[in-house]
Amino acid sequence: MKLSTYNFLTSMAIKGVKVGYPLKLRITKKDLVESEFNPTFIERLLPKLDWSAVHAAAQQAELADDIPAEQPENIAENELLMQKLHHLLFEIDVLEGEMECPETGRVFPITDGIPNMLLNEDEV
Amino acid sequence: MHNVAAIGQQGAVAYLSYVNRLPEVQLQEQQAWHRTLPNGLVLLPDFVSVEEEAALLEAVTVDTDYAQDKLKHRVVKHFGYEFIYGSNNVDADKPLEQRIPTACDFLWQRLSCNEAVPKIIPDQLTVNEYEPGQGIPPHVDTHSAFVDPILSLSLQSDTVMDFRRGAELVHVQLPRRSLLIMSDEARYDWTHGIKPKHSDIVPTPTGSLTTQQRSKRTSLTFRRLRRAPCDCAYATLCDTQQAKAPQALDEALSTHATELEKQNVHVVYDQIAQHFSDTRHTPWPKVTEFLQSFDPHSVLLDVGCGNGKYLNCNTELFSIGCDRSLGLLDVCQGRGQRVFRCDCLQLPIRSDSIDGCICIAVIHHLASRQRRLQALRELTRVLRPGGRALVYVWAKDQCRNDRKSTYLRQNKAVNKQRTTEQAQRQQLSTELQQLTVMDNLEVSLPVHTNRTEFQQQDIYVPWKTKGEQRTTFLRYYHVFEEHELEQLLTEVDHVVLRISYYDQGNHCVIFEKRK
Repeated sequence: MKLSTYNFLTSMAIKGVKVGYPLKLRITKKDLVESEFNPTFIERLLPKLDWSAVHAAAQQAELADDIPAEQPENIAENELLMQKLHHLLFEIDVLEGEMECPETGRVFPITDGIPNMLLNEDEV
Repeated sequence: MHNVAAIGQQGAVAYLSYVNRLPEVQLQEQQAWHRTLPNGLVLLPDFVSVEEEAALLEAVTVDTDYAQDKLKHRVVKHFGYEFIYGSNNVDADKPLEQRIPTACDFLWQRLSCNEAVPKIIPDQLTVNEYEPGQGIPPHVDTHSAFVDPILSLSLQSDTVMDFRRGAELVHVQLPRRSLLIMSDEARYDWTHGIKPKHSDIVPTPTGSLTTQQRSKRTSLTFRRLRRAPCDCAYATLCDTQQAKAPQALDEALSTHATELEKQNVHVVYDQIAQHFSDTRHTPWPKVTEFLQSFDPHSVLLDVGCGNGKYLNCNTELFSIGCDRSLGLLDVCQGRGQRVFRCDCLQLPIRSDSIDGCICIAVIHHLASRQRRLQALRELTRVLRPGGRALVYVWAKDQCRNDRKSTYLRQNKAVNKQRTTEQAQRQQLSTELQQLTVMDNLEVSLPVHTNRTEFQQQDIYVPWKTKGEQRTTFLRYYHVFEEHELEQLLTEVDHVVLRISYYDQGNHCVIFEKRK
């Protein structure tokens, strides 16, 4: 699971959960997949991402010092930060780990790179 | 004899060799001659005299092209009503000017003296002219079109007709000037056909077999229109019963929806994932067109992404896919695509976050109306205001403007007239008897015959794996009627239908979330 995918995931479908976001991420095994740095792509994608989960992902991906808690102004002009974001969102592939619903503690496992977000019938 | 002898027919070459015993096929062939006739089949030899034969032929000879069809394998003429081969039915509201010739009337009078035969006065006649080498594929006369019995008079030449029910095969020799009466089981539950051959293998009085050359044969098939649904007791080949969904079915489906989807959708796709993925590589052009209609860097969510064939269609998009099938998700993950596992009824995606959704061939696997509606609502929820979704579902109607969908056109056996849909249905029902159909659901659904028109909306569609381990899996489908998808969409809040269309046997909609 790429951390750009993580940014869109929520546990709000669970009965009684109000926001379910961001999920608490734990990474046990990750891979690095190099990809071409495309600053325009990141710049255009950023408004569609939720910075709280970008930041949460950085905490778990050992990039906590590189990604600030609040989204800086004029981020496109900061090439170093853009490169860090590129690395965080597109190059880190979480192979094993889990995500936890912040409200209920329900855990969604990540196995072989695929998050399992399936819910049981009695959870919805 | 170490040589090649040109004794075969039509220039075919026959190789001669010594054998210890007759081949298996030959034995089956012999057995097919010694079986008892199907129930309800009566053959009356010498039903008409040579003079009457000549008079009948004269009466049905039409000089003009009127109501005459040159089919691929024979010439046919209709009297009373035209038999329409596309629908395998007659139009009861459009009688032909040309009624059954009065010269035929003596036939039913003669027949009425026979106690063993149901009484009938036909109002439709089809005349078939078969040259040697021509035949008719195995078929059953459409149940709802004609009542029981059906009469067939053989003129000018003998032939052999094959009756089949599942694995059962009975050869029936039809002598010239004989009348064949198909009633009851023989009319409803057995198919009949004539092999396209120049000579027939027929039994001799001593019990062995010999060949017999065919010459031109004319058959007169007399039938009476039913003008009502069929009420027979033989469901396998009955168009009426295949079309009639049981009243309690919807309710039963709703009650057992999750179980049914689990066993006849999710489990099946996981088992056929690799084979399925190998056969799903070409993106549909209209879907690609939709994907190209987005600005670069838009966020796309493919709900039910399968093997991810649409995730790389437009590489300028930020594409995410989801599916239930781990087997298919593994294929995507292996290609480096962004995917996760979920159910389309509960998308684990932030609301208002997606620019475009596609949901191709997914919602027809949901077993109740409520669930199909819920899936559309979830798509809408995750779309940002102004975002657009494209949904494809399989259409019940596989013909548009007299043009068959690719799905039907790929029925190679029927297209080449080697067989008929009915023969395929019969074959399938035999196969299924050997298959352990998961049937503890209290939902009994008909099994669809692949590459044929759908008989009803809720069905099992077989998936046959190839290779050594041939297995048949049954997938549940709800095929959509025209406008059914649009109708569902009217019950979803905050959406505007942008366009709806029919594409390759699918009903499709593009809708937008209101700003």
